Amino acid sequence: MTTPSTQMLLDPGMDLTLRPMRYPQFFDRFKDAIKNTWTVEEVDLHSDLADLAKLSPAEQHLVSRLVAFFATGDTIVSNNLVLNLYQHVNSPEGRLYLSRQLFEEAVHVQFYLNLLDTYVPDADDRAAAFSAVDNIPSIARKAEFCFKWIDSIYSLRTLSSKADRRAFLLNVICFAACIEGLFFYGAFAYVYFLRSRGVLHGLASGTNWVFRDESMHMAFAFDVVDTVRKEEPDLFDAEMEQQVRDMLSEAVECEVQFAADLLEQGVSGMSLADMREYLQHVADRRLQVLGIEPIYHSKNPFAFMELQDVQELSNFFERRVSAYQVGVTGSVSFDDDF
Amino acid sequence: MQVRKRNGDLETVDVNKIVKAVERWVADLREIDPLRVATKTISGLYDGATTAELDKLSIQTAAELIGEEPQYSRLAARLLATYVDKEVRLQGVASFSQSIRYAHQQGLIGDETAEFVARNARKLDDAIDVDGDLRFEYFGLRTVADRYLLRHPQTREVVETPQYWLLRVACGLSQTPAEAIGFYRLMSSLAYLPSSPTLFNSGTRHTQMSSCFLVDSPKDELDSIYERYHQVAKLSKFSGGIGIAWSRVRGRNALIRGTNGKSNGIVPFLKTLDAGVAAVNQGGRRKGAACVYLEPWHPDVEEFLELRDNTGEDSRRTHNLNLANWIPDEFMRRVEADEEWSLIDPSDAPELPDLFGAEFDEAYKAAEKKAVKKVKARDLYGRMMRTLAQTGNGWMTFKDRSNALSNQTGVPGNTIHLSNLCTEILEVNSDDETAVCNLGSINLGAHTTAEGGVDWEKLRATVRTAVVFLDRVIDINYYPSDQAARSNPRWRPVGLGLMGLQDAFFTLRLPFDSDAARELSTRVQEEIFLTALESSVGLAEQFGAHPAYAETRAANGDLHPELWGADLGQPERWTALKERIAEHGLRNSLLIAIAPTATIASIAGCYECIEPQVSNLFKRETMSGEFLQINTYLVRELKARGLWTGPVREQIKRAEGSVQGLAELPADVRELFRTAWELPQKALIELAAARAPYIDQSQSLNLFLSAPTIGKLSSMYLYAWKAGLKTSYYLRSRPATRIQQATVSIAPVEAVACSLENPESCEACQ
Repeated sequence: MTTPSTQMLLDPGMDLTLRPMRYPQFFDRFKDAIKNTWTVEEVDLHSDLADLAKLSPAEQHLVSRLVAFFATGDTIVSNNLVLNLYQHVNSPEGRLYLSRQLFEEAVHVQFYLNLLDTYVPDADDRAAAFSAVDNIPSIARKAEFCFKWIDSIYSLRTLSSKADRRAFLLNVICFAACIEGLFFYGAFAYVYFLRSRGVLHGLASGTNWVFRDESMHMAFAFDVVDTVRKEEPDLFDAEMEQQVRDMLSEAVECEVQFAADLLEQGVSGMSLADMREYLQHVADRRLQVLGIEPIYHSKNPFAFMELQDVQELSNFFERRVSAYQVGVTGSVSFDDDF
Repeated sequence: MQVRKRNGDLETVDVNKIVKAVERWVADLREIDPLRVATKTISGLYDGATTAELDKLSIQTAAELIGEEPQYSRLAARLLATYVDKEVRLQGVASFSQSIRYAHQQGLIGDETAEFVARNARKLDDAIDVDGDLRFEYFGLRTVADRYLLRHPQTREVVETPQYWLLRVACGLSQTPAEAIGFYRLMSSLAYLPSSPTLFNSGTRHTQMSSCFLVDSPKDELDSIYERYHQVAKLSKFSGGIGIAWSRVRGRNALIRGTNGKSNGIVPFLKTLDAGVAAVNQGGRRKGAACVYLEPWHPDVEEFLELRDNTGEDSRRTHNLNLANWIPDEFMRRVEADEEWSLIDPSDAPELPDLFGAEFDEAYKAAEKKAVKKVKARDLYGRMMRTLAQTGNGWMTFKDRSNALSNQTGVPGNTIHLSNLCTEILEVNSDDETAVCNLGSINLGAHTTAEGGVDWEKLRATVRTAVVFLDRVIDINYYPSDQAARSNPRWRPVGLGLMGLQDAFFTLRLPFDSDAARELSTRVQEEIFLTALESSVGLAEQFGAHPAYAETRAANGDLHPELWGADLGQPERWTALKERIAEHGLRNSLLIAIAPTATIASIAGCYECIEPQVSNLFKRETMSGEFLQINTYLVRELKARGLWTGPVREQIKRAEGSVQGLAELPADVRELFRTAWELPQKALIELAAARAPYIDQSQSLNLFLSAPTIGKLSSMYLYAWKAGLKTSYYLRSRPATRIQQATVSIAPVEAVACSLENPESCEACQ
């Protein structure tokens, strides 16, 4: 084995040197993320209030549960990032990306804070929504799952043994595949369902930006896993595969019981059976990315999800166009190709 | 599974019943599988849903299959039409005239239209085309149903069907039933549609039918600024889009004599305007919208360019206003020559906004000694480019060219001070005259066949009808402000536009950037302009020239193509036309403007105005929801080649609507189906410049760069200026990264490791 401090992505070691750069792809992700900068003030929640009043009680229940989950979800991810990921990713360019991610999670928290303040005018109701982790069982169950995996490596100061390194990988995979990749993607489906029906534009446009960020977080985490796989292939054994599969099965269960709560009163166009199939399908996809056999072989039943896979075109006078970049570079010249 | 019927009874859901409801509509749609729609609908249902929910869900379900088979769009539209029809009938409305009477009772329809329809009820009822709704695509009909059909004030149920709506619009503008029926048939065929305000308001109690208002800059005083807020609010309330100049208002730190204080500049005032625009929502149908125009010599121009940034102090940001630069040639010349540019306070040179061409140059140079600040012209130009790249806003519009070629600037003192919300209208205005324009667009796709090419006779007939009804709006229109009411009868401008140019190119298999495409687009535009002018002379013969005719360039015998210096395609017709103009004058000072047509192109089911397709597969986001849009010309092509398969669809989706990677397609087919992102933007500018001699106002020209840089942008806009374009519109670009695709299959792990951005570090490629 070569010296970990200079050759490996995972600690031990504290690499502070950006040149020569060992993982330029992490740096590129950092730069791309900056171009996606958005602020909460850009999201116009005006028309959402009128829409909320028009929704059926069943749909209102769905929305209130959903935002209650959002209110705490990103905070949990931030905590894991600081307490676990940042410590053990031994690459300054990787930590640049993680710093950026931390900023983005903070913006997301601010967005959902703003959203709840707007959606839930009553102070007591609002307090209840913010403490969903304690008083809404379907959300508490998901939070417990997250805490279990945060705690699993919290006491590790360095990843000295193979067991430590595997434990760390499981944490990364859990947050990428299960929390950002399944819990958030489940939430994504509800938002997409609502926006495909033309309601809650504010929620939709803010969440669209959130998901654009989340997609990058997940891709970064999987990139970390792939990099470690190349550097230390022997970490990925049958036992770990099984652990990942078990982890995803449990995550699917958590999310299905959440769906049962959300859809409890009957929402036309989104049945619990379809939602379960969707979640299984997403879980299979996460396994496939990790090179692991799928569990469920389920198909995506939600055709409206296709809408998120194609370019958007907004009428500027109806929607704020979200397809612009910040941080454009270059200087004035007159003979560039265009 | 059970559903609750309208009378409250529960009933078991029956697949066969849904299948039957679908089968009723699919006689001409061979690719539809009714059972699939039925089973998918039921799988999304919950126990105890209402039958109305079931109906809505079946529409939604059909719409969601459009990505696999575009014919489902027609099916969804027809199911929706049935739904709407039922809603209207259940209120006891069985005919067009009944719908008008009912809506009149509810206070929705104007007295004159109600009387006109009552007088001619039989003829008009018989004119309804019962198959008219079959022509709609789903997205178009959904838009109509959600926003154009009149609704009962209390129940919010629609009180007219789509065909009743179009006939109502026609009746609101007609003097005889024959005229109304002719105009209705043209609109119902989707070959021509007036702009949204006309479609919203014709025949109603508030007949504000104009799209655009161009408000001159407030004077450099508080009363005038607050008068403008009031005017903008009134215009916005009745669906108008607003352009407003702000160049006359003094900049930051300029002295205010009355109080001996210093001005805070224009930004706080624009912040107030921003809030005002957001507060007025156009009757709930769309958000109010305004664009502020500023000349680049204004001392606050740098802060102006930051108004749409998403960082910085929010009190200096305007999230709702659009921004445009109103640029004199002198600025562009100094950019090119890399010279200095002076920022001058309007209180020191109040004449500048009213001057253009050589007179402006002279006055500007004289005022430079009073400059507040000097900057490098290129630095400021670079900031303009940055604003465009980061926000799409800060449109580049050219003051001198816009004025020099305008028919309205025939005598000194008449100046165009700005363009409008969509940069296609160029009309003179002043402190007490707000320019107004009402618009309509011809669907070129509906005038083109693969075998016959463009049907020129049909095109001329459409133009003739369109001009009559655009002109008619001027007299019937309700003007929300006195300034608007003063200007429009004097100048009588209209804006006849074009949409579906891309449809015509696809039909005729012309790549967008080919010589043949440019030639066709130019010929079409010349034909439209010529015919429109001929129609306007005809109207002048009947009703007289417009009152300000003597102030126009046409009165001196100068027409737009000559002012441009174009090579005429039909010189004899132009000569004959000029003789008639010399005799009768023109009824309208301006006739042609190519508007963006976002909404009406959706209704007509064609591509927007003169734009290339943005993608072969994309979604539209509107207030009605999200809609998958697929290039049906491409689907037809792929089907003919046996290539419309799951894997090919996925490949297109993965490539975000590009077919350039589809090796199975021959090169010429791939060339035809390039997207706006894949076309050289130079070609878009050249097409626009080639047709521009035949557009007496301007065109909403969007440009597309996936990954803009300051270098590319500065080259592109300099080229557009040199090509002689009067205005340009949005810069469209794409986000740096996208949301992870959820419905395409996962690439194998090895491929994920490949990073094309970092070939040197990528093991997979080595």
